[in-house]
Amino acid sequence: MAQRLRAVDVAVIGVGMVGSIVAKELAAAGYKVVGLERGQARYTVPEFQSPAIHDELRFDIRKALMQDNTREPVTFRNHDRETALPVRRWESFLPGTGLGGSMVHWNGQTFRFQANDFQLATRTHERYGKNFLDPNLSIQDWGVTYDELEPHYDRFEYLLGTSGKAGNIKGEIQPGGDPHESPRSRGYPTPPMKEHFQGALFRKAATNLGYHPFPQPSSNLSQPYTNPEGIKLNTCVFCGFCERYACEHYAKAVPQTIILPVLLANPNFELRTGCQVQRINLDSTKKQATGVTYIDAAGREFEQPASLVITSSFSLNNVRMLLLSGIGKPYDPASGKGVVGRNYAYQTMSTVASFFDEDVIINPFMASGASGTMINDFAGDNFDHSGLGFIGGAFIGAVNTNGRPIQYHPVPPGTPAWGKGWKEAVLKHYNHTVMFSLHGSSVSQRQNHLDLDPTYRDAWGQPLLRMTFDFPQNDLKMAQYVTAKGVEIGKAMGAKQVAGAPRKGPYTTTQYQTTHNTGGAVMGSDPRTSVVNRYLQSWDVPNVFVIGASAYPQNASWNPTGTLGALTYWAIDALKNTYFKNPGHLVSA
Amino acid sequence: MTRLASHGTAGFTSLLMLAWAAGAPAANSQSVVAVKPRTVNAAPCEACHGPNGEGRPAAPFPRLAGQSADYLEKQLRDYADGSRNNPIMQNFAKGLSDSERAALSTYYASLDSPYAVQAAPGDARLLARGHQLAFQGDESERVQACNSCHGPGGSGVPSSAPYLAGQSAEYLASALKSWQQGTRKNDDGQLMASVAVRLSAADITAASSYFASLGAPGN
Repeated sequence: MAQRLRAVDVAVIGVGMVGSIVAKELAAAGYKVVGLERGQARYTVPEFQSPAIHDELRFDIRKALMQDNTREPVTFRNHDRETALPVRRWESFLPGTGLGGSMVHWNGQTFRFQANDFQLATRTHERYGKNFLDPNLSIQDWGVTYDELEPHYDRFEYLLGTSGKAGNIKGEIQPGGDPHESPRSRGYPTPPMKEHFQGALFRKAATNLGYHPFPQPSSNLSQPYTNPEGIKLNTCVFCGFCERYACEHYAKAVPQTIILPVLLANPNFELRTGCQVQRINLDSTKKQATGVTYIDAAGREFEQPASLVITSSFSLNNVRMLLLSGIGKPYDPASGKGVVGRNYAYQTMSTVASFFDEDVIINPFMASGASGTMINDFAGDNFDHSGLGFIGGAFIGAVNTNGRPIQYHPVPPGTPAWGKGWKEAVLKHYNHTVMFSLHGSSVSQRQNHLDLDPTYRDAWGQPLLRMTFDFPQNDLKMAQYVTAKGVEIGKAMGAKQVAGAPRKGPYTTTQYQTTHNTGGAVMGSDPRTSVVNRYLQSWDVPNVFVIGASAYPQNASWNPTGTLGALTYWAIDALKNTYFKNPGHLVSA
Repeated sequence: MTRLASHGTAGFTSLLMLAWAAGAPAANSQSVVAVKPRTVNAAPCEACHGPNGEGRPAAPFPRLAGQSADYLEKQLRDYADGSRNNPIMQNFAKGLSDSERAALSTYYASLDSPYAVQAAPGDARLLARGHQLAFQGDESERVQACNSCHGPGGSGVPSSAPYLAGQSAEYLASALKSWQQGTRKNDDGQLMASVAVRLSAADITAASSYFASLGAPGN
């Protein structure tokens, strides 16, 4: 029997990036907020200190910072005629757990999406005609525009201290920045990171080809910075242990370094770790949430009544929480009806490896998670897709994040996969190879979706989330096209051998790609095709807000975190300025 | 043990070999490691830093022996241009040519001088606090572990992070204070300054005493 706790104003499920920011803002506005985090509390000191944090076996291979998939995996299948099986070892994507969430182990690549992305369906029809798209695709507009989000992007970047070079300030193109970006109201809070040698090679080649290279925006900082919360961050030292690790230097923007100290000092906020939320509770009408039920680390069950519930866990877990709670109609791919679990999308990652002679010294280990040089000339809708048979694109960049010894072994195609030949090739190429990342968009299509697994359950007896996903043909064509462009840049750099590896199907969870899982609880202006409205409020249960990349109707050509930060502040403004004054539907269905 | 193989520049190595062939005296009695460069006079250094670069435990003069050559050379450059502001060292550094700075740095990097044992400070709590700062840092001050950059046991990570172990406590404290006060601003990204400004006077004493209580690397 659950022990019933004293009611609070707001229950926040998941104290990661979104949860920390939301909780901080609402606690500061005077509301009693409880943050329920399933993982453990952890801080820069002592948990993130080296040498322990540089343990590649523990963090890279054994995924020490990730969701415990011995207790709570995801099941996966490519198509609905298959039986999904639990992912027992994270490889393709790496959902984090613990205080600070997945942001603790991110690379710090901090992008904005372009204005076009938020109106993808409309703009695609306008530019290419109604019949251009594969009818199987289910892309749609977001219900919010870039111009509406711009102040919130700005606020998020200044919270993080993002280091970068603006390309477009209020419509004026800035030399050295990305000329394709949508207008920003001001420059980045800190100047770009230093360019490493592979970035310099890339810059030169891309410029010669007529493209527009610029420094990747980074939330591993280029200089000391004090954010608007009054918290100081340090300069990144390019140790090459960002993604999958935590930063020991207070140099990477993560909740612990940008907002948690302020949140935790507010008596209106209570953090509870080790709390596995089982469901959001609804009243008898099923149209109002009454709070949440969770099980603590000792196995005790608690009911936490709350006037407002915000689910701010990893995108996949947001979707699962709605399904477990019976909020919103689950999506049925056969009929196309229902919304929860619909429009799951990912990211279409390709690579180009450029192999140089041994007199070209790359030093790949001198890197940070976001210190590359890149172009957006083939991202999004920045090039004419007429006759190409696909939409979307990829950024191309020399954005290699590390040269860690267990994981980083670039070898040319045809190299033996093991043994003496492989070892010789690794030795030969390790320090003379430039790896490009081609970070591609991902369209939503009818078959790809999330639902509850009929067979497998988690350690608490609840059904696991089931992922049904394969790459849409649209994205595989895109990957082919953009990879060919990347190969041209590799050749223009003067590499001896250039190997393009466009993403190919079928999708597999056994190969690392990216942790940019999006959709499943998408935002929009029509409740028949979205789970939440433009303010990320549930259409069905208005005192539930679902804030995460789960809201993306499809995924764009860039890392999703910047956009999620903007959406978080956007939703907070709606809560503070409108919702709390008169709790109810912010948009009428 | 000689560190020359890893630190010597080609020019200095050949100079050393000449000296070696001539049967030059050993720099210390335990191992034949290095010979003073003939092209530069190390005598002015020795007055403060000791005849073998072993430092002066009770004075703010650092041990130089075995410190990385790149680090030492950068310090001489920075003394000369004032980004590490010290009037005495500025005078010396300004009078050196580039090649003299390189030769001196390589020479001191090659030394494996005995550790000048320091009197252990009496305050165990001070040492414990220093140990905590070295290994763990302090979240409430937002200070990361010294060893995160300066290597296990403060043994140094060439070429940007010097060893701290066995260094004079007086020197370490004065260095931290100069980072704090901005008279030293010669690191990349102001990382050391960012850390130093968060340290209290008591923490500076604690960290300095702790590292001074350790043996110098290789000793």
